[in-house]
Amino acid sequence: MPLIRGSPPDAAREDSRSPGAARDDLRSDDPLVRRRAVRRLGDGPEAVAALMTALRTEREPAVREAILTALAALPDAAGPLASLLRSQDAGLRNGAIEALQTMPGPARLLLPGLLSDRDADVRLLSAEIARCLPAGEATALLCGLLERENDVNVCTTAVEILAEIGTPDAVPVLRGLTRRFPTTQVLGFAADVAVKRITGAQN
Amino acid sequence: MPADKPDRPDSTEIRIADHEFRRFRDFLYRRTGIVFSDAQRAYVERRLTDRILAAGSRSFSEHFARLLVEPDELERLISAFTVNETYFYREDYQLRCLTSNLLDRITARKRRGQPIRLWSVPCSTGEEPYSIAIWLLENWSRVDSWDIEIIGSDIDVRALDAAQDGVYSERSLMRLPRPLVAKYFTAMDGGRYRIDEALRGSVQFSQVNIIDQADTGRWRDIDVVFCRNVLIYFDDMARRTAANNLYDCLAPGGYICLGHTESMSRISPLFHVCRFPEAIVYQKPWEDSHA
Repeated sequence: MPLIRGSPPDAAREDSRSPGAARDDLRSDDPLVRRRAVRRLGDGPEAVAALMTALRTEREPAVREAILTALAALPDAAGPLASLLRSQDAGLRNGAIEALQTMPGPARLLLPGLLSDRDADVRLLSAEIARCLPAGEATALLCGLLERENDVNVCTTAVEILAEIGTPDAVPVLRGLTRRFPTTQVLGFAADVAVKRITGAQN
Repeated sequence: MPADKPDRPDSTEIRIADHEFRRFRDFLYRRTGIVFSDAQRAYVERRLTDRILAAGSRSFSEHFARLLVEPDELERLISAFTVNETYFYREDYQLRCLTSNLLDRITARKRRGQPIRLWSVPCSTGEEPYSIAIWLLENWSRVDSWDIEIIGSDIDVRALDAAQDGVYSERSLMRLPRPLVAKYFTAMDGGRYRIDEALRGSVQFSQVNIIDQADTGRWRDIDVVFCRNVLIYFDDMARRTAANNLYDCLAPGGYICLGHTESMSRISPLFHVCRFPEAIVYQKPWEDSHA
């Protein structure tokens, strides 16, 4: 019989060093050591600070993914993750969005503030986070954004998301966009498409 | 006996309030990663009520308190909510991919004497790991040249007990060619069949919850993971956690085979997509880096 029965895994192989040692290992030169350190840091409030510090300097995608997944499991990390929406690093911005999308509870508390941020880029990226909320809640938040938003790119993003998940409550706001932005044809076109998708209209 | 206990409730007397349903759903999610929506409430209530009655509890609150301190009842409850129906040679296109592509690539980078480690998780009642064993014996010409370890893991200890017992119904064997049934099984009473003792002895079974890092952290250097039709029950966070756990279990260059309706690309950026004629599988990079 060429098939062999392996030995049960050796419990001693499991890395059981302390969270303190894990924080030291986060600075290791070896990505594998850093990744394992992330995964045994624990879930106390001190873990958020250590993980955020590591994330800001980490360049290895597999380690970044482990850090973002660990942070997404920590409700206290929502605020620090949201701060990454201002990062110049596209990987960090997108990683933060994906992490916040997996934590709708904490994210919904932050979204009203983020969608009112002075920075248009933050408002645009935050609209993507709203995608993770129940349709009615996302529709209300994005409609509120559209009613006060003057940046065309932010509006277009919100309209695209509403086209995908919006409820009929969004239709009046979407129709109003054409009047508010009469010279921005692309926005009127996107709003028309969204209305048709939401209402099921053929033409 | 129910007749001696007239005060014992029946299924119509067990009521599960909205807040109890939500509490139970959150509890089950934290323990298993399995997500149930409001639309599945009737399904959840039916199974939960069955367990409450079977365990002799009188109400949800009484039973929920027991769950926290009675590991055996928790196991039985998890069994009630995990789907265990499967059969031999299910999704055999992945087995064809294993022998026509994956093993050649794995052995090309492996030293002689190093075992090939294949992991079926969740393995339910054993049909999949035993299918892998039979398929390799029948279809891989180099099977005698390598040490092959097959591991079957599941969260459900009752399913694992059945897997180790290795007794199956005709229904489980419906996809298996009859000559193979004759070769690897012994007929028993009642239309049941017991798998060959040597095969039973060649698969190592263990309890593992794939969203539990401590559980999966014991496993390393797996060459191929068969993780089929389980991630669909998880929410985004649990899927992402499972993907990270499986990544750490895999050897560099190791593969994950998911169910045909599942896509790792939508779960995690950690893996490369490999398109073979028989199947799409996902590979951990050879170097522990994507850079």
